[in-house]
Amino acid sequence: MSAPAQVPAELVDPNKLDDASVIVFSEGLVGQPRWRRFVLLTADGQDAVGVLQSLDDAMVALMVTRPELVVPEYAVSLTAADRISLGLDSDQQPLVLTTVTVHGDLITTNLVGPLVINPHTLAAKQVVLSDPGYSTTHPVAHLGAEE
Amino acid sequence: VLVLTRKSEQSLHLGDDILVTVLSIEGDRVKLGIDAPRTVSVLRHELYEQVRAANTAAASTHPSLQSIAHAIRTSKPMNSGIASASASANDESQS
Repeated sequence: MSAPAQVPAELVDPNKLDDASVIVFSEGLVGQPRWRRFVLLTADGQDAVGVLQSLDDAMVALMVTRPELVVPEYAVSLTAADRISLGLDSDQQPLVLTTVTVHGDLITTNLVGPLVINPHTLAAKQVVLSDPGYSTTHPVAHLGAEE
Repeated sequence: VLVLTRKSEQSLHLGDDILVTVLSIEGDRVKLGIDAPRTVSVLRHELYEQVRAANTAAASTHPSLQSIAHAIRTSKPMNSGIASASASANDESQS
């Protein structure tokens, strides 16, 4: 708590980033082909939520979570073409994140369109799952529910 | 919008790589066969729209650093509750 806060702008200044920290969605996100390059910002001491800050549009930032925290059995099945485009071998596990949205005090996450990232190369793709059991607005929690 | 009429078992090409065939028509249901490279994602429009909308909602669910900075730079100083409370206590009025 007493540690000085980092200056966030330094974390997302594209001129100060090396390529090794840039997550690249070569096709952009679904319906947003220009959202291609992101950095993942996380706060020390917690790994439940992070922010994907776009490097292509500074106004775009997506809150993300690890979906297995929400639905432990959540699984993303990748096609062979997905694995090729991500550069993932059949035995390599991707990093999977899902976007978080806040509706009033309800926090939801999009389990239909997970963000799948090769943890080694940071090549990434938004996969769309046709499993009818998943929702784009899967309820996660209520803000301030612990009070 | 380009409108084409096709009968059952007729096809159309989208570019060189994609072939769409009307397999059968039963009532208001049309069964399509899509022959496309594996790298081409084929999605029902409803699903595409859901995910697109979810992406847009996620991007606007909380302000980015830049949008907070923009809001602060462009906003007029707001009277805080304390300041306006003390102003009314002192019975000052600005007009």
